[in-house]
Amino acid sequence: MAKILVIDDDPDMVLATRLCLEGAGHQVLAANTGTEGLKKIKAEKPDLIILDVMMDTTTEGFQLALTLRSREPEAEFAAYRHIPILMLTAIHTTTPLRFGPEQDYLPVDDFVDKPIDPDVLVKKVGALLQKR
Amino acid sequence: MAEHPLASNSLNEHLPRDVALASARLILTRWVAGALVILLTALTARLLRVSLPEGPLYLTGAAILFYNAILAWLGPRIHADASAAQLRRLQRFVVLQVVLDWLSMSVFLHLTGGITSPAISIFVIHMVIVTILLPGPSPYVYATLGSGALAVIAGLESAQILHHYTVIPTLSPALHRDPVYVGAQIAFFAIVAFATVHLVAVVMSRVRETERQVTALLQTSQAVSSTLSLPNVLQHLARSAAIALQVRRASIRILDETGENIPMVAAYGLSEAYQNKGLVKLSRSPLDREAMAGQAILVHDAPRDPRIQYPKEVAAEGIGSILVVPISGRSRTLGVLRVYAEGPDRFTQADVDFVLAIARQGAIAIENALAHEALQNADRARALFVRTVTHELRAPVSGAQSLLRVLIQGMTGELTRQQREILDRVETRLKNLMELIHDLLALAASKTAELQEPPRAIPLQEAVQHAIDLVSQEAGEKQIRLAFEAPAEAILVRATPDGLGQIFGNLVGNAVKYTPQGGRVTVQVARQPAGVVVTVADTGMGIPAEDLPHLWEEFFRAGNAKRSGITGTGLGLSIVKRLVETFEGMIRVQSAEGKGTTFTVSLPIAAA
Repeated sequence: MAKILVIDDDPDMVLATRLCLEGAGHQVLAANTGTEGLKKIKAEKPDLIILDVMMDTTTEGFQLALTLRSREPEAEFAAYRHIPILMLTAIHTTTPLRFGPEQDYLPVDDFVDKPIDPDVLVKKVGALLQKR
Repeated sequence: MAEHPLASNSLNEHLPRDVALASARLILTRWVAGALVILLTALTARLLRVSLPEGPLYLTGAAILFYNAILAWLGPRIHADASAAQLRRLQRFVVLQVVLDWLSMSVFLHLTGGITSPAISIFVIHMVIVTILLPGPSPYVYATLGSGALAVIAGLESAQILHHYTVIPTLSPALHRDPVYVGAQIAFFAIVAFATVHLVAVVMSRVRETERQVTALLQTSQAVSSTLSLPNVLQHLARSAAIALQVRRASIRILDETGENIPMVAAYGLSEAYQNKGLVKLSRSPLDREAMAGQAILVHDAPRDPRIQYPKEVAAEGIGSILVVPISGRSRTLGVLRVYAEGPDRFTQADVDFVLAIARQGAIAIENALAHEALQNADRARALFVRTVTHELRAPVSGAQSLLRVLIQGMTGELTRQQREILDRVETRLKNLMELIHDLLALAASKTAELQEPPRAIPLQEAVQHAIDLVSQEAGEKQIRLAFEAPAEAILVRATPDGLGQIFGNLVGNAVKYTPQGGRVTVQVARQPAGVVVTVADTGMGIPAEDLPHLWEEFFRAGNAKRSGITGTGLGLSIVKRLVETFEGMIRVQSAEGKGTTFTVSLPIAAA
């Protein structure tokens, strides 16, 4: 069982994610905004973060990922850099996106397309937790 | 006013060709002249029984024909290379011709009676020809040389150093030694020669100036109407105006929405510092105010003119005279066109009329570009609206779909058969709705493609391969043979990755979607001289002939596709066509109902 933080401003999406992951035996926490998300990361130290790409502003998700993965040694979240991030996107997969934990371009570990397919989500979460 | 390097270049571009043409015409005329000398000698001597020195005259005619033959042989070799660099060589060739002509004419004059020769006016004809053919001061030199040659012949004959031929028996045999007669002949000859050369030169310079203006106007009109992009139109207009007036600098100011600021929107030859000298306000610039009222204005001494708002900057830029004309559109004055020259008093009333004509050409092009821009903006605004709306639609549908899947996959407990059936139907409807939203988004994006992301050189095969990968699972399930043939070396096209993905995703996706079990879909990429061609051919249901003309319309679906029960939005192909055209390509379709369809996309190849 792992502690998973879902950061998403869409309550339906949070509920869907929660139902999927709790069904798979995980503990799910939720945050509705990026700021709240950062607070909960510090307070709860989750094993994995599920992050929506677009929240209030179109780049809030990206910004949050960049903040968490900052390579500055003095960075506020340096201690949390290692937490795997799974990003939720609605980007239609006509073009492959470049991503990877060490890439400045999009410092996340994997993507899940919206709408969420429960099987895919549970598998990807499992794989990321294993790798940790 | 040949102070513009570009302008004088463009004149030089024509000059060697003009000189080559003049030279060719001289050679052509000389055949006639040589033949006439022989023919007229024979006729006069035989028929009129005038005692002419026949032998020497025939020899003169033959000599003319002989050296002309050499010139005609040399000519094409020198004319062929009519580049600016060869101008000097070409001019020397013409001077050689004129010198040879003077020599032979002098001999001819001498043989036909020297100062008493009735053929004396022949010289004048030659001068007229040379003045017409050659611009510049050289005709005056020839008039001087011609008068001099006549004086030398007359002098040598009267001093009896040279034999005098008395051609007309009734004339006094001593006439050529009469100082009054000889003096008067030479004086009047010189007057006629200079007057003729001068008059012809004046007429010719006017003709050439008109010719230059017509050419410049034509070039302006071509340049400004060659594009619908407003910045390009303005840039072309400023440049054309400067070149047409043979000056180094020109600028365009267009009144903005405030009706008060009149910012510089295009500049040619002006320094950065001058361009950024500060905002010109109509209320503080009497010059622009008068011009905006429809008046053309000549500023003769710019740094000291009280109407100039920035005299220091004008002086620093080295501007002496300014000519300002209104750019008058159909219903209002759009702005002003300014041309700048270095010294004071450089522009004339004739220049004013000329620049006004150029500004009128510019006004038409500017209004066309403005209309085009307005249309494009409207289209973009609509597309952006659709984009925002569809974006807002997608989130709730996506949320609903996600929750629905949780239910269907039994994560909240087992479902009855009936419940599952109902939820499956709901899911299908939501899936179709999501597809429509995606296509609307893609359509809006295709209309604003160049706004989203500038096209760049990207490898085509990769994009096509990715499109094929996306449908390979579906093709496998339907046992469709999916073949891809492409040259190994990467071919680059100027496009956006998203755009290429849409184009080939739609075409390959459709091919698989509308091809039945066990069919074939073949995608080929081929490099051709004119660009790269991608064909997507299937053995599917085809498109009825009557539906082909409507294929690219938004929301249109072919009759057989609708009846087939296969869902679709009817937006894919209009997205494809729009994007292909955005990337400066072409798309066409060939189809036979029941047999299959082939789409052919051609795109220009981009440099690496």
